[in-house]
Amino acid sequence: MSGLGEIFGGWPPPVLDPAGPFAGPVTALAWVLLISGGLVLAMVLGVTSVALFGPRRWRAKLGHERLVWIGGLAFPVVVLTALLLHGLSLTRDLSAPPQPGETRIRVTGEMWWWRVAYLDTAGREAVQDANEIHIPVGRPVTLELEAADVIHSLWIPRLAGKVDMIPGRRNLMRINADRPGTYAAQCAEFCGGPHALMGLVVVAHAPAEWDAWRTRTAAPPTPTPGRGAELFLSAGCGACHTVRGTPANGLAGPDLTHVGSRRTLGAGILPNHQGTLAAWIADSQAIKPGNRMPAYPVLSGPDIRALAAWLGSLK
Amino acid sequence: MSSETGFDTRLYGRFPTKGPRPDGELEALEDAWCGPRGWQWITAINNNFIGVYYLGAALLFFLLAGALSLVMRAQLAAPMSELVDQELYNQLFTVHGTTMMFLFAVPAVEALGVLLLPQMLGARDLPFPRLSAFAFWAYLIGGLAFFGSIFVGLAPNGGWFMYPPLTGMTHSPGINADFWLLGIGFIEISAIAGAIEIIVGVLRTRAPGMTLDRMPIFAWAMLVFAGMIIIAFPSVILATLLLELERAFGWPFFDPVKGGDPLLWQHLFWFFGHPEVYIIFLPAAGAMSTIIPAVARTELVGHRLIVMAFLASGFISFGVWAHHMFTVGLPTLSVNVFSAASMAVSVPAGVQVFAWIATLAAGKMRFNTPGLFAVGGLVIFVAGGLSGVMVAMVPFDWQAHDSYFIVAHLHYVLIGGMVFPLFAAVYYWTPLVSTRALSERLGRWVFWLMFAGMHLTFLPMHLTGLMGMPRRVYTYLPDRGWDLPNLVSTIGAFVFALGALVWIVDMVRNFRPFGASNAGNVYGGSGLEWLPNDLYSVRSIPVVTSLYPLWDQKALSRDVEAGRYFLPGVAVGGRETIVTSVMNAEPQLLLRMPKPSGWHVWAAVFTAAFFLLLTVQAYVASAIFGLLAIYTMVQWCWLMDKPMDQPLADIGAGILAPSYAKGMTSPGWWAMAITLIVSGMVVLLTGFSYIFLWSQRPDLWAPPAGDLAGILALLAAGAGAAWISVRALEHDGPRSPWVATLFMALSAGLVTGGWVLDATGWLGAGLKFDGGPQGATIAALLSWQGVFVATGLLMGVYAVFRLMFGYVRASQPTTFQVIGLFLGYAAAQGAFAAALSRLFPGV
Amino acid sequence: MTLILLTAAACADKSGGPRQLAGADAERGRQTAERLACAACHEIPGVAWPQGRVGGSLTGFAGRPLIAGRFRNQPDVLVRWLSDAPSLDPSTGMPPLPITAAEARDVAAYLYTLK
Repeated sequence: MSGLGEIFGGWPPPVLDPAGPFAGPVTALAWVLLISGGLVLAMVLGVTSVALFGPRRWRAKLGHERLVWIGGLAFPVVVLTALLLHGLSLTRDLSAPPQPGETRIRVTGEMWWWRVAYLDTAGREAVQDANEIHIPVGRPVTLELEAADVIHSLWIPRLAGKVDMIPGRRNLMRINADRPGTYAAQCAEFCGGPHALMGLVVVAHAPAEWDAWRTRTAAPPTPTPGRGAELFLSAGCGACHTVRGTPANGLAGPDLTHVGSRRTLGAGILPNHQGTLAAWIADSQAIKPGNRMPAYPVLSGPDIRALAAWLGSLK
Repeated sequence: MSSETGFDTRLYGRFPTKGPRPDGELEALEDAWCGPRGWQWITAINNNFIGVYYLGAALLFFLLAGALSLVMRAQLAAPMSELVDQELYNQLFTVHGTTMMFLFAVPAVEALGVLLLPQMLGARDLPFPRLSAFAFWAYLIGGLAFFGSIFVGLAPNGGWFMYPPLTGMTHSPGINADFWLLGIGFIEISAIAGAIEIIVGVLRTRAPGMTLDRMPIFAWAMLVFAGMIIIAFPSVILATLLLELERAFGWPFFDPVKGGDPLLWQHLFWFFGHPEVYIIFLPAAGAMSTIIPAVARTELVGHRLIVMAFLASGFISFGVWAHHMFTVGLPTLSVNVFSAASMAVSVPAGVQVFAWIATLAAGKMRFNTPGLFAVGGLVIFVAGGLSGVMVAMVPFDWQAHDSYFIVAHLHYVLIGGMVFPLFAAVYYWTPLVSTRALSERLGRWVFWLMFAGMHLTFLPMHLTGLMGMPRRVYTYLPDRGWDLPNLVSTIGAFVFALGALVWIVDMVRNFRPFGASNAGNVYGGSGLEWLPNDLYSVRSIPVVTSLYPLWDQKALSRDVEAGRYFLPGVAVGGRETIVTSVMNAEPQLLLRMPKPSGWHVWAAVFTAAFFLLLTVQAYVASAIFGLLAIYTMVQWCWLMDKPMDQPLADIGAGILAPSYAKGMTSPGWWAMAITLIVSGMVVLLTGFSYIFLWSQRPDLWAPPAGDLAGILALLAAGAGAAWISVRALEHDGPRSPWVATLFMALSAGLVTGGWVLDATGWLGAGLKFDGGPQGATIAALLSWQGVFVATGLLMGVYAVFRLMFGYVRASQPTTFQVIGLFLGYAAAQGAFAAALSRLFPGV
Repeated sequence: MTLILLTAAACADKSGGPRQLAGADAERGRQTAERLACAACHEIPGVAWPQGRVGGSLTGFAGRPLIAGRFRNQPDVLVRWLSDAPSLDPSTGMPPLPITAAEARDVAAYLYTLK
């Protein structure tokens, strides 16, 4: 019960429900493989049935080394060669290098959330964000994948496959969404502890909206004033979190500059509103056991509410 | 047929011999091979005992690891279940995978070889019975200690392939990961010991006349299996060593912060890990190729093609490891090569499947339990192979990798390719080792429950994977839509478990090993193992003239039992078997084999204690047990190569064979040579690691240091001294023993000197072992060579002791030949390491 | 326990089916509660995750006389509590929730199904 079923729901199976040109051909390939695999299995079962139960005359025909040459050598060699050639050309197409000027987003896997940075044309990290990737519809986007601690793997089944994030290396992954919407992503490489609860949301906007989103996100937020801001600093939240426009500049945890505008909390596991913000601040360990944020039982109810309200206003 | 060894094959015409056998001959044989009484079962070294222990232990681990999977399936039956917590679940899947791969699959097929090969080949036992026993005890103790860690919460929790940096000191500071590294490293050593045994056994102890053409298909499978272990296992031994060194001393091999590379682990692990699948599959396929002809009552169609397929699988499987790494960002070219190889490796599997189908068609299948398991395994394996072709397609793998689709695929392959064939084998060969066969009625229940449970569990997982469920998740959120397929999988797992339970009932009711007689050839097999059998194996070792001896040589059973073939009794005293030549199995030698003694058991206990105490960081106690282990092994060696008083023995019908083996005829020399190949692989792979790490970070490399020419000169002199020592002993002069011993000790000293010069060269130039990848890899090379230097010095001392006891004689040069081989190799290894580490420029 | 039940029954008598919210749908309320992830703070029977420990458990909520131990457990109070708890109790940790009045009525109806 996380209220995120619309984004993360498993039906139709996301691998078979592509939403962009980097996933579509793979889905087509999956169908080819599933159907031809099923046919071959049916054929082998048929031949085996004849070998076991067939009339003596049929069995005599099968019970010969010829069957091994035809079924075990010639047939697989022909089929596999055809498949392989198809696979090689598809691999080449899908791993084409980024075009010049393509939007670049650096996504860094951390235990157990995602650091997201939008790069400017010079390759500098212009805008910091976390746990959500925003892309323009219809334009290929390059994700630069890195890891801060252990190996993670970014899997966005409806937009692409998965690519590992390996400490000390930088891998590229390209995605492109056909239509606006939200697309689920998940860490696929076991990264210890609550690996199971490490999700991410990709949001595809119409290009104009995306530009607006970037402008808005690049600017500091205009939060509602109140006790929340003071509490955020006095309770030490700024040691791990950054909120641009305030003294909070911690780097260990997710950037919270625009946390109020995100769709999820806790890396793709909770809907985001004041209630869940309060729940997360008070005792995130009950929600995502093992995550790096401690519980704060010292804060009073009104304090937690004030913090949640202030964070929620960071749009 | 021309002779391979100069043996006159017309002598085979003397068999079967005529006339009655002398009185007391059978009694002497029974006396030599008498079974253990009371506590002696611990020190037993007959393969009839060790094989059963070994297979029993492997099946125990199968049940234990299976029980863990039931806990996991219960946890995943519903979303966000709280049956087990995150940490325990992470330990559960790590221990499940590790136990299934390392403590069940490999030992089970190896055990099958230890149990069956002597009988199939017509040998009285494998050539190194104590080594098999040592391998078993080491495996059992190490395995139980490893598995027990889950009960105290100290089990490893990084997944069975243990990827660093997650398993490095920063992210896994507890000793959990050390349990994996030391426990598994230790168990692999036991697997290698078993492989050496199997290679020498298959190549050198076949019954006379059993040419390679007439060698049972199972023996072929085991031979390729053992060869693959020799090549593949060094890789994981090296990987575990390096990670343990990094954890203990901070030498950076994998830690990117200090210039290491996490991908090095993946290359090393999968260079072992993929062949591992075929290592498990081939013996099981060999069992299938034995059982299917028996239940279909016809010869195997395409025998030669299957042998070719074994060899092809063996070769190609070493070229596919990176298909586990399609998502790590390899260059497109390498990805394509590995994709092609992954497809190619399915062709030999296809050949075998169609050969089995053709065999079924050529004969008439009897639907007994082994037959059901064989055909069921075939069907499951084909399905797993087809999903394997799917994931060999790189773009599809980008989606399927690390998802439940892979979980489904690998279980189809392993259950169809290994578990079902193994159960077929258990039912088929139980009548060989038990006084009662297993129940056909219960067997059918076992099969159908397991077959249905298997599909119910793993078929839906293909879908759960496509629905986006990653593997190794301790839970999942309720709104993912994964509830139903997971529930079905859980129900399936319990159906499978019910099948296993019925099998346990069957075993308890009917399995009665070590009896005076066995249940006999219930399923009508054609191999020599179905000859009348006792603890001494066959009464006399037959001359084999057919691939299906029991079907084609009608009088064979009667004549063998009447003692009318080779070695009908005891030739010179004690346990013996015949060593034959590699190609044509011509008799060469009477091999005298050990009687039971406790040294190998103590060696196993002390070795296990050494590793386990090292794991819990009790270094002093660990060192004491390490020394005890060395002491017991030296004692064990001391029992070998004793002076012989009877150089020639009658091995049957007046045919004389030497009872002492020299040089390459000696199985001991072969065992040493194979051990050195293992070490050679370790050093080659360390060299690969050195080059790999250099290619990633050449900026961290310091220029070569030390006197390479001096090192090479010392090592060459060391090898030369070993050569002179061996030649001097063969020369057989009055001073030969003294000269030989002197030069052997000198050789050990020179090899040590080369190593010292190498190490001081680097250290003198200020190289820090924990400073970067160069220092770390050089430290690893030096450490490995250090072990050889220490062993070489020990051997030098050993040689001096032999001289003092008067054992150094020209008539028995084997010990010196083996030591000479070792020191010569150690010199070459040191030269390789010293030269390679200085080949790459630094900045 | 008996006392609580009696109190609940007495309330019910006075206002004539106070736990009935006209036009509210408990099933819709359940979905809203799921969308909001109320369980992030409150343990709710039948909800596997999350199982928050910060707020009180909602097990047996229908039979309770009081909300948050202070306010009469009446539909109108509950609806207001759900939408804007601090307006009733400034010391509470429960923030105002982003729901409409109709949604709050649905959720209230759902909570009254929790025995």
